[in-house]
Amino acid sequence: MNTFFQTLIVGLRLGSIYALVALGYTMVYGIIRLINFAHGDFIMVGGYTMIFVMPLMLRLGLPAWLGVLAAIVVCALVGMGTELIAYRPVRRKGTNMTALITAIAMSLFLENLAQAIPAIGPNPKVSSQIFGNGGFKLGTVTMEYTTVITLVISGIVMLVLYAFTQRTRLGRAMRCVSEDKAAATLMGINVNSTILLTFGIGSGLAAIAALMYMAQYPKVYTTMGALLGLKAFVSAVLGGIGIIPGAMLGGIVIGLVESFTTSYISSSMADTFVFLILIVVLIIKPAGILGKNVGEKV
Amino acid sequence: MKSKKLISVMIALCMLLSLGITGITATAFAADDPIVIGVISPNTGTLAAYGTGIVTGVQLAAEEINAAGGILGRQVELVITDDQGDPTECLNAFNSLVAKGVTLIIGSATSGCTSAITDAANEEEVCILCPTGTADSLTTEDDYIFRACYADSFQGAIAAAYAKQAGFEKVGVVYCAADVYSKGLFDSFSKACEEYGIEVAASQSTASLDVQDYTNQFAAMVSAGVDFVYAPYYYDVIGPYVVPQARAAGYTGIIMGADGYDTTPDYVVAGADLTVFNDVYWTNHYDPGADSEIVRSFVAAYEAAYGSIPSAFGATGYDCLYIYKAAMEAAGSADAGDVRDALADTSTVYECVTGTFSLDESGTPVKGAAIISFQSDGSAVTSTLVDVVTQLP
Repeated sequence: MNTFFQTLIVGLRLGSIYALVALGYTMVYGIIRLINFAHGDFIMVGGYTMIFVMPLMLRLGLPAWLGVLAAIVVCALVGMGTELIAYRPVRRKGTNMTALITAIAMSLFLENLAQAIPAIGPNPKVSSQIFGNGGFKLGTVTMEYTTVITLVISGIVMLVLYAFTQRTRLGRAMRCVSEDKAAATLMGINVNSTILLTFGIGSGLAAIAALMYMAQYPKVYTTMGALLGLKAFVSAVLGGIGIIPGAMLGGIVIGLVESFTTSYISSSMADTFVFLILIVVLIIKPAGILGKNVGEKV
Repeated sequence: MKSKKLISVMIALCMLLSLGITGITATAFAADDPIVIGVISPNTGTLAAYGTGIVTGVQLAAEEINAAGGILGRQVELVITDDQGDPTECLNAFNSLVAKGVTLIIGSATSGCTSAITDAANEEEVCILCPTGTADSLTTEDDYIFRACYADSFQGAIAAAYAKQAGFEKVGVVYCAADVYSKGLFDSFSKACEEYGIEVAASQSTASLDVQDYTNQFAAMVSAGVDFVYAPYYYDVIGPYVVPQARAAGYTGIIMGADGYDTTPDYVVAGADLTVFNDVYWTNHYDPGADSEIVRSFVAAYEAAYGSIPSAFGATGYDCLYIYKAAMEAAGSADAGDVRDALADTSTVYECVTGTFSLDESGTPVKGAAIISFQSDGSAVTSTLVDVVTQLP
């Protein structure tokens, strides 16, 4: 029973992080049907921002996690910059495929740019302790507070995002742009600034994801976003890409599959099973767990 | 027609002459040219601490040798290349060195990278002297590959011998199934355990070196009831992930590691509970606090040059250049073939920082290992020498 609880907790811990990252993927996809492969690297940008800001926070006597505010600003700027410099010109000239390739190029560009900056460099950095140690007992197994905080934050972010897209004018504008850009323009919506705002919010989410990731896995390096981003993307697809609760569900499922495979099947086959599950689900339900089968619009 | 023939004959003559001239100049000036030694190491990337160690060690040795008049009266010139800890990049670095005409190489740090260039080196007849690649398969008889460190069959066995000596009857292993180094150490450790009558009660693996969660693996160790776990990984996951997560999973016993644990104290989380690093042991190539003249003078010179205590990578890198020097002086030549033959002589004894040893038939030193432990009072992680093992029981 102990093994079961331990495995469950590790699964939730991994899953909550995948879920947070997946929210960023799904949001951008939902609005402009672009799989933003650079999203994983926005997390790296947020991670390094916090590595540099946290010592300052601690020196000022503030808690280390407040560094996330700086990271949100930096990530949002990088995200919007990416949209302005790379995605928008490409979208105007090319097709969805060109935009996708640009996203991959952007991802590699950010990773290599970070390596070239002397203060970052290619060597890994380890963050300071972010939240306090400890947790509560579940049987003989400890559920760490950090894991609980991550789950709660993922839940809150999901609810806020959902409410934002459903209830606010800007959120409605986003959904409008996602359904039909031409019609949205006719309704007086500024399509370009709506998309820019989407990137700002999506990238800001990456900074929050980076904080939660570093609280549990404190190593930061320039390619950290690659595998993390891939698994989060898989989570988003599994839950139904473009659907906000789907990202959350997909993330938790992927985390649990990974953890239970490690404990009960084979510890070196975790990734194999993650991607196997993805293939099986996509065969049975191509639009993802929460996805509705609607005709391809684009 | 005739004039055309004449022209072509003259051109041919010119070509022959120019060939002859360049040939002559090459041999005439060779004796005064510097001896070029290539260095391949992971100077950037997740294992950059290893590369920095090796490069600084080799550079220190080169400065000393050049100041003392060089090798065979010729100065030593280093060509430093970076493999980023990636086997493909390692082969690229090797090819770039060969293209520059370098035939004596020191490198690389890891077994994974070095194994990517051994075949090419034998084919090109280029000497490789590997400072810290410990996988057994790297060196064989009749090849151009040598090393300055012990092999994993020895390193894994020392860990098993230590478990036996400390009275453990059952042990566990957590290792990376996809890495030459980690898997090699797992193999040699389990084989030695069998010999010493120790039961390997639990063995858990990870699929890659990028894995960030080791909790389930160590929870399995707890449920198997073992108090000694062998975990051969590198410092970049030991410090932030493996040790803290093992303790969080409720594992309180000994964690035993290998030379990859070197420089771990630079990669621990500031502000976290560092006492988790108590009861962590590892085997290393040398002990910087050893009480011998050669170690003392090396550590002093290194500290004066770089302001820090040299890691084992600095020490083996330093040793590599001196081993090349001894081999070149024995051969009386800096030619790769002659140096290879000198290194293949198993009777030569090298006096080095990491021990006094000769190379066996495969080109691996016959030498001991230091067992080092981490300690922490909560503010920092420090290392202490526990024992030096020269022979297996």
